[in-house]
Amino acid sequence: MSDRAVQDALIRALADAPFRASAEWRQRELANEARLDRFARFLARHYYYERLVHFYRYSRALARVTGRAPEGVLGAAGFDRLLPAIVLGSRDSGVAVAELVTAHLAGGRVSSIRYHDDLLQYQRAMMVVESGARVWRDGSSAADPGSRRSLPVTVEGTMLLELQHDMPAVLPLLLRDWSDVPEAPAQRTTLLIARSTHGRVSVARTTATITTVLALADGRTTLDELARDAGLRPAELDATLQGLVDIGAVRFSTGS
Amino acid sequence: MPKPMVGAFYNPHLGRDLAAGTGIDHLAMADPPRGDDPWWPAIRDRYTLLLHDYLGQLSEPLDEPAIQRARSLAVLYRTPWVAEHFQCLHTEDGNYNLNYVFPPLYTEEFLDRFVANANTLKQRLDQPLVMENIPGFFDVAASTIPEAVWLRRFFDRTEVGFLLDLPHIWLEAHYHDAEPHVFLRDFPLERVVEVHVAGVEEDRDLEGPWIAPTAPSDAMLDFMAYAVQRCPGVRAVTFDAFSPTLTSDVLFSSVARIRRTLGN
Repeated sequence: MSDRAVQDALIRALADAPFRASAEWRQRELANEARLDRFARFLARHYYYERLVHFYRYSRALARVTGRAPEGVLGAAGFDRLLPAIVLGSRDSGVAVAELVTAHLAGGRVSSIRYHDDLLQYQRAMMVVESGARVWRDGSSAADPGSRRSLPVTVEGTMLLELQHDMPAVLPLLLRDWSDVPEAPAQRTTLLIARSTHGRVSVARTTATITTVLALADGRTTLDELARDAGLRPAELDATLQGLVDIGAVRFSTGS
Repeated sequence: MPKPMVGAFYNPHLGRDLAAGTGIDHLAMADPPRGDDPWWPAIRDRYTLLLHDYLGQLSEPLDEPAIQRARSLAVLYRTPWVAEHFQCLHTEDGNYNLNYVFPPLYTEEFLDRFVANANTLKQRLDQPLVMENIPGFFDVAASTIPEAVWLRRFFDRTEVGFLLDLPHIWLEAHYHDAEPHVFLRDFPLERVVEVHVAGVEEDRDLEGPWIAPTAPSDAMLDFMAYAVQRCPGVRAVTFDAFSPTLTSDVLFSSVARIRRTLGN
């Protein structure tokens, strides 16, 4: 085994709590288990602290009204109970931590913030979509699934969010100086949230046409069928698909 | 020996204070400026900026987009040098990532990897490259070379600069029951270009001290003074705190104490 492979096993042991507890890892005896376990817990708290501070920054800005800062959940017993199952960066762990912080924030003084439920949905979606393995460098062994062009397929994890308020209108205002909590227009809004293979999360307002394209892009529907059912001309479909590929919402399947 | 610059990290939530503040010579940039940061133009005009972003990990070659990103950030900041870390924090397949600095195994194989990839990166940059030491909280049985020896051999083969993170040294000494001043002497101090200083606090998970966005202790500042005297090429000393919980008072008072301790 190469030293690089040993380093990979060490990184996995720190990131993946079930692997760290396994006989497969423990029989390697690469490091003091108690020390490694403590460092893994430290890393887990740090990993999700970084994400909560970033993805829940709007709730952080509202903390003086709600009385709840998102990162406060990391010091509580609920997060400790998650630790034995946490795999840093995995979708399941991302969902578990997002649900924990969402429940924590929902219990704050939020009655005066009419769009608070939408805000929690939005932030939860951002954090969950960001999770999952990614390509760290071009040419690495993690293949870029968009590289071969055949039939379009909506990328797993891409989310369509149906909100009752126009959240993009209020989010920037929350990060500025304010004395009264900024209001959000009560207006039904659909947002598309997607992640590129390199981990960049994008948000876009979406239309019924894009929603249709995403619903139909299953890796089996042909471009002609997609264009017909979405009511798009071929050139319009091409441009729409390219935009969706660019933000990571759609990839082209390799076929079968 | 010319007196080194004394500075801190750019913390965007303190942008207003930093844009108007005094007593700081430079700011290290851990992240690119956000497009909606109102203080960024003033910061860029006012300060010497040091590129200290995550560029990649030199256990593998940086790919072309990463090199181009480093080059463009270097131009944006007009940085006098580019910093990278002795780190290997994600697996080769991208499935596991620690999202926190973590050192490589100190072995011949990793030495060859870091030397080759640092030499390649150095050739693609228009500014000198400096490399920062990373602390280990525990020893790994597969490491075969003492860290200080490994670093010395790396610098001999690349001739890049050394960004000496003193709290990292202090923590390693602490967790090895060693005296930090003695522990430090084995490191290649003649290569040092920049020194990092920070505060440490007890961490509940580690059950011991670790880096924190807090003021450096008097003991840490004394350690800094001891180290800087032994680093003939040092050009900058940076208060290494980058966190949304860092306060303006801690940042400015820490820089002022560093300056007083160094006598400049």
